[in-house]
Amino acid sequence: MLLKYLITQGGNNFTLKKEFRKKVVALVLFGGFFLPIGFLILKSFFYGTDSLNYILENLLFEYSINTLKLILITCIFSIIFGVFPAWYVSNYKFFGRSIIDLLLLLPLAVPTYIMAFSYSEILSFTGPFKITVDLIQPEILGILLSFSLFPYIYSASRISFSLLGERYQEISKNLGINKTKYFFTVVIPLSKPALFSGLFLVIMEVLNEYGAVKYFGVNTYTIGIFRAWNSMNDTGAAIQLSSILLFIVSFLFFLEKSFNKNKRFSSAKNSSVNKLMKTKILKKILIYIFCLTPIIFAFIIPVVFNLVNLIDDFQSIEFLNLFRLTINSISVSLFTSIFVVLISILFLYGERQSKSRLYYYINEFISLGYSIPGAVVALSIIIFFTSIDSNLAKISILGGFLVYLFMLIYAYIIRFMAVGKTTLKAGFDKLPNSYDNTAKVLGLSDFNFFKKVLFPLNKLPLLSALILVFIDIMKELPITLILRPFNFDTLATQTFEFAVDEMIPKSAIYSLSIILICSLLLVLFKKLLDRLHVSGD
Amino acid sequence: MIYKNFLNFILCTVLLSCNVEKNDEINIYSQRHYQVDKKQYENFEKKTGIKINVIKAGADELLERLYNEGENSPADLFVTVDAGKLQKGVEKGLFQKIKNKIIESNIIADLKDVNSYWVPVTYRARLIVYSNERVLSHELSTYEDLANPKWKGKILVRSSSNAYNQALMASMYANIGEEATKKWSKGIVNNLARDPKGNDRDQVKAIASGQGDLAIVNSYYIGMLLSSEKESEVLAGKSISVFFPNQAKEDRGTHVNISGFALTKNAPNRENAIKLLEYLTDVEAQNTYVNNSFEYPVNPKVKPSKIVSSWGEFKFDKLDLNLLGSLRADAIKIFDYTGWK
Repeated sequence: MLLKYLITQGGNNFTLKKEFRKKVVALVLFGGFFLPIGFLILKSFFYGTDSLNYILENLLFEYSINTLKLILITCIFSIIFGVFPAWYVSNYKFFGRSIIDLLLLLPLAVPTYIMAFSYSEILSFTGPFKITVDLIQPEILGILLSFSLFPYIYSASRISFSLLGERYQEISKNLGINKTKYFFTVVIPLSKPALFSGLFLVIMEVLNEYGAVKYFGVNTYTIGIFRAWNSMNDTGAAIQLSSILLFIVSFLFFLEKSFNKNKRFSSAKNSSVNKLMKTKILKKILIYIFCLTPIIFAFIIPVVFNLVNLIDDFQSIEFLNLFRLTINSISVSLFTSIFVVLISILFLYGERQSKSRLYYYINEFISLGYSIPGAVVALSIIIFFTSIDSNLAKISILGGFLVYLFMLIYAYIIRFMAVGKTTLKAGFDKLPNSYDNTAKVLGLSDFNFFKKVLFPLNKLPLLSALILVFIDIMKELPITLILRPFNFDTLATQTFEFAVDEMIPKSAIYSLSIILICSLLLVLFKKLLDRLHVSGD
Repeated sequence: MIYKNFLNFILCTVLLSCNVEKNDEINIYSQRHYQVDKKQYENFEKKTGIKINVIKAGADELLERLYNEGENSPADLFVTVDAGKLQKGVEKGLFQKIKNKIIESNIIADLKDVNSYWVPVTYRARLIVYSNERVLSHELSTYEDLANPKWKGKILVRSSSNAYNQALMASMYANIGEEATKKWSKGIVNNLARDPKGNDRDQVKAIASGQGDLAIVNSYYIGMLLSSEKESEVLAGKSISVFFPNQAKEDRGTHVNISGFALTKNAPNRENAIKLLEYLTDVEAQNTYVNNSFEYPVNPKVKPSKIVSSWGEFKFDKLDLNLLGSLRADAIKIFDYTGWK
């Protein structure tokens, strides 16, 4: 039906035909990526609702409150660790500023499970401080999660702050507004879109978290999903609960979009960049406290802890295994991140070229794949592919190494499209539409326009997107565990296995390898970012 | 161009991966991811030349994968650390019966599956550990007694999301009935020293640090703590003692659970899989389990490790272990009803 409609719509003239072709491509692509999840949502209507009702009646309230509380704590601390340092680094001159600027990004290299496992050991009675107080508390979990997640807010606000330019500051000065008031009444409202995009990622990650919340005994909504699936043996209820979560998140997401539709702040119009201010010693101390606290707790302590463990356990390292796992991790991350970036390009380029809102909504909706727990994404892929398999008269496509590798990569793409797209979009949006028009006048085809204009001008955002997706896949756990082919281990799965067996020292070499590889990439990412947005001292 | 390449990639991937017949291998879906398993499989490979391929993930996720793959599944064996999960697989119709004299003669009768769908390779006890300083062993008796108000503010245990606790609750349900189990669970919650959290080792550490006096933990974790390379962990392990509950003559014994294998319904390498199970239940492999993972052997000819033997012998609950699975949902409801987080 839809196709028929599109065909009748598309037949009239050349431009319409082109527009129609693009719509079809968009729908096919969207279908390809949304189908497994759409299939899952559809299926959820056909499952029984006993367990769902049980959970909704007895547990939902408590689980929702716990989830909201955890989100709130994590967000508050992520903002404290992210926004203030970003403001100081963007505006003040102080010793070590550029290295601090880099170090504030590096906690992104530490996966939440390594953060949680390391701290649970550090804060325990058998840790270095012999702590006798019970520190496995929900509030502590919130802070630990913010250690891993605040760089999302830091990097978003850092870009936004440095693009604000001097003009606002001068005007505010002339109006007699002091610095604090300027920060809260001018800077923060203008940076709201950037802050929201950072917070969105933080919230999605908290919603997704399973291992750490289970360990801390905090019953969140995700625990509810797994309770239905693992404990009540009701896969249907788990799928239903995931669908409900997806709808709630979508609703909130679009609500935020429509609220802030007219409040988007365009940086291009205000291009003069901040001059860095000198400051007094007292303020400098404050700056160092704000900037160094997150660096020490979110990066240095977990790294040193794992290094000490590594040294203690050095003789038992299997270097051959380490090498094999590193190759696995790097190749699957690299391969997938290239795919994610290519597909993100198709979507974003489609949105840019097409006048229809269809692309816009598709693009926004795809980002929400990020809110579904990884294990559920993996489940949807299995269910989807296997139902294709049995319906296709038992063509035995299952079981092969490559098929599962393909499914694994497919799931990663659904999950991490949001990360790739957000990074790329920032770059694409900076190019004025006049480029497109000029290209059209010059008779460049869509593909040539992309090849000759968009690609060369967006090399840096492309590389940045590649790096960020790569890091996320390198750290990913639930999807990898479920969908991997036989004998396919990665650094993340090995770290997890040792940690779950309560053998933290043995996991150190694998944790550190993840942290090292991701850190090196983040250093590169930072260099790209500086060339893209922020002019330094 | 890009679309074309993408389609080509998909096609190639599908074509390339169409099953090529392979012999002399076994495919295992494993919830167990201990180092000892790797050792066992390597030994078996050396002995027989049969290659073992493994995928390790959560039990429920693997069951789901198996269920959806249906008869196209490459898996021969599914292994997990909870009889409840094996029962879940049986209920979903994923397994076939294993009838083999060698395997049967290798295993203690009371641990065998009454329906022959799964084969245990080790077992573990969910026991009580207590502070050497603050509790005397004669004050302890049964799981039921842990609900006694005399233990108020003293008990440590992990959360109800944990499969071992769910199995314990299911065993209580099977043994003493719904109402008494509810009362018991409520009593435990009232006696907790802190909210349920952490893993089994954390409960022992919490006793060592004085946050509570008693904990419900699995036996092998104590073995691992005592044999740790970290001195502080050994000290924590030494600050507690082990107690096997419900040992009175007329009583049922301590709750145990197994690590067990099931043969998948369409196992492509059935013969090889059976060979592996024969090997794993035999004396040599049983000794490897016992000395590396501190679990109890299912083969009566093999003795537990030195550390584990030092706790003495005990009587275990002879309950049909399938009930740990079929009563799981009821157990969960009791956790929720009584506020065991």
